[in-house]
Amino acid sequence: MGAIRRNGAGYMFLAPWLIGFFCLTLGPALASLYLSFTRFDLLNAPEFIGAQNYVRMVTADPKFLASMKVTLIYVVLSVPLKLAFALAVAMVLNRGMRGLPIYRAIFYLPSLLGTSVAIAVLWRQLFAADGMVNGILAQFGIIGPSWISNPNYSIYTLVVLSVWQFGSPMIIFLAGLRQIPTDMYEAASLDGASPSRQFWRITLPLLSPVIFFNLVIQVIEAFKAFTPAFVISGGSGGPINSTLFYTLYLYQEGFSYFRMGYASALAWVLVAIIAVFTAISFLTTKYWVHYDD
Amino acid sequence: MTDAVQQMPGRGSAHPRLSGTVRHVILIAICFVMIYPILWMLSGSLRPASELFGGDAGLIPSQVTVEAYPKGWFGLQINFGQFFLNSLVIAVLATIGNVLAASLVAYAFARLQFWGRSFWFALMLGTLMLPYHVTLIPQYVLFRSLDWVNTWWPLILPKYFAVDAFFIFLMVQFFRGIPKELDEAARMDGCSAWRIYWKIILPLSMPVLATAAIFSFIWTWEDFFGPLIYISEMRNYTVQLGLRSFIDSSGTSSWNELFAMSVLSLVPIFLIFLFFQRLLIEGIATTGMKR
Repeated sequence: MGAIRRNGAGYMFLAPWLIGFFCLTLGPALASLYLSFTRFDLLNAPEFIGAQNYVRMVTADPKFLASMKVTLIYVVLSVPLKLAFALAVAMVLNRGMRGLPIYRAIFYLPSLLGTSVAIAVLWRQLFAADGMVNGILAQFGIIGPSWISNPNYSIYTLVVLSVWQFGSPMIIFLAGLRQIPTDMYEAASLDGASPSRQFWRITLPLLSPVIFFNLVIQVIEAFKAFTPAFVISGGSGGPINSTLFYTLYLYQEGFSYFRMGYASALAWVLVAIIAVFTAISFLTTKYWVHYDD
Repeated sequence: MTDAVQQMPGRGSAHPRLSGTVRHVILIAICFVMIYPILWMLSGSLRPASELFGGDAGLIPSQVTVEAYPKGWFGLQINFGQFFLNSLVIAVLATIGNVLAASLVAYAFARLQFWGRSFWFALMLGTLMLPYHVTLIPQYVLFRSLDWVNTWWPLILPKYFAVDAFFIFLMVQFFRGIPKELDEAARMDGCSAWRIYWKIILPLSMPVLATAAIFSFIWTWEDFFGPLIYISEMRNYTVQLGLRSFIDSSGTSSWNELFAMSVLSLVPIFLIFLFFQRLLIEGIATTGMKR
């Protein structure tokens, strides 16, 4: 078969992706990079203003700083809690116990339903002043606050929602745990190693590539969270910007105020944050991620 | 397995029977806590409107009624039947696009030799990490200039160009596991690349095609951001947008109707989960899924 024919066939099959890549990914990405240096309201042609959008973000936009703070709190709290919970449950589930498929399926269900509006609706009512959570607290004589409309608590309801969806990292942990040879534990217990020592010396190091993978994926997903904050706050990010996720602010700037140049700049800052985080994660792997030699 | 464990003194589970029971108790308790909110929503949808929250955290309504379902169904100017139909059409068309395009491209990456293959493959993997926000505004400008705002095209068409690299990656992983001898034999017999793809690779890849189709359907069904941006007229709304409007239009008086429609919006996903959960879980375990 000739090389030309071979290349021709390859590119024929690749064609859908190539078109999509250039017209819907690379082209738009470069366009938004340009737009981030402009003032653009969709109706008039973009007007080049240099780095003003970026300067404004850090010097004159308290809402940007608020959204950054909310998002960082959300990432820093929800990801470790979610992963810790996923790992803990995976370890309880491990080693072919009876009923494992059923447990696994039930734990996974919230992850599957999680991003739909219905679940956000449910969360709003769970943590409402007269919602389920306060109903339970009332049984113990505690009068709970209105979690959703209190700026001190609203973000935590979203953290709980995220932790509730621990199912998909748990499944990845389960697959990882299965890779650890049982004879390592057997040898360790013959040497008299306690279960906690086995956890720190065997489970965690051998699982570290999976932990690393889950961490990167979950952090990126947490930065991109949108629907629950939008539905719970009615699109405002309130009360007092306490649920103003970064992506929600980006949406408001772009599609409520039509400051599309500014929204593009926000998108590129998000890319930069994710890139920096990913780079740091990869660069530090040699200190904490254990790969087989 | 348990026998082996029983013989291991000093091991964490030295009393396997006891610790087995304890494990089940812990797990059942966690299951219960996790599922409780969903059951509470289901029970709420079966309560009469007069029965306000009032902090009732229980699951048993004082009086069971399904009145919230028809009321919620016709609660907006356009009924939820239209929204369900819209969502279904969008999700089915998007799913076909995703599976078709991703399988073609994955076949090229996994099986065909061509110049620049590893370069394109690396680029494709690179787009996995890219947040969609970065293409959002130019895409919007593009679709607007094509006069596609307030149509379903922006929600469906990109899938036919394999923009979600995740599905390509998923399929490449699977295709690589199919024995190469099969296509080589077929090629000897004079089969074209297209025939090999259609007659050999696809029929052998049903599990991964099904997994991709299921995830694609669920993600499109649950998508909120896309419809929020592109769809403005209510007759074009998806279920998710319909629910959002319902929150805005209904006060606290009709929360049972809101719950009823929320429950209905989850039914398709729940059914898929019920029938295909093994495929879903294997899909996550083998590729490491985002959600």
